[in-house]
Amino acid sequence: MNILTIAILTTAFLLIITGLYLLARTHNMIRIIIAVEIVMKAITLLLIFAGYLNGNFALAQTFVVTMIVIEVIVAVVAAGIAINIFRINGDMNVGKLNKLNG
Amino acid sequence: MQQSIIIIICLVAMVLLGLAAAMFRSMVKAAISLAGISAVLAVALFLMGAPWAALFELSVCAGLVTAIFISAISLTSPDRKQPEKVSEHKSRFASLPFILIFAGVSLIAVFILGGFVIDPVAGQVTAGAAVTFREAFWNMRQADILGQVIIILAGAFAVVILFKEGGKA
Repeated sequence: MNILTIAILTTAFLLIITGLYLLARTHNMIRIIIAVEIVMKAITLLLIFAGYLNGNFALAQTFVVTMIVIEVIVAVVAAGIAINIFRINGDMNVGKLNKLNG
Repeated sequence: MQQSIIIIICLVAMVLLGLAAAMFRSMVKAAISLAGISAVLAVALFLMGAPWAALFELSVCAGLVTAIFISAISLTSPDRKQPEKVSEHKSRFASLPFILIFAGVSLIAVFILGGFVIDPVAGQVTAGAAVTFREAFWNMRQADILGQVIIILAGAFAVVILFKEGGKA
């Protein structure tokens, strides 16, 4: 493998590890959305890398555009839910969301 | 070769900014680090030969999503209520840099010593490789465009419902 391939794959995996670690360790809702976004950046990089491998950049770019649209909608809706939960509970800690406890 | 070096610098910057986004205690700094990842990723995508993806990444992810995050942070201001202790935050994420260094060295060793061949083959042309972005987007992905429009509308309706004031309760 050439050095660029190794760098791209390593970066993508490290970003995925960072995002998953952040997801596992944090209790803050905004930070959870940031973690999902970090993982999605890695997937964007891998999608373009797939286009780079087979020379089909046009199709890879269309996939990336679709993914960016979904990414934005996820961020918007998740941020809206987080704001509403903060208004109700007065806290962003997901560990304290116990209103549905039986 | 020079282009590859710039791409590798961008990739290293992405990992460092990802680490910063996780480690920063301030939410605003974390959101700005995320915008930095998007901006650097856009540069890397452009240099790899994907200008349209770079354009969307820079304008939407580095711009719009950051604005959404800053708005959400300013509307919630979680630090004002019960501030998370600095020492607690640091101890919670203190092991992340070491995990990333270990994982990075391990991955590079596996890729170099493992004998994987994932390089682009010179002269290889797959089916549909000759089409332009415009043809691929508007002619080959029509169902996806419809799906994207529906997703955007669904997101807009979700925001309207989430921020609806009042109600019978």
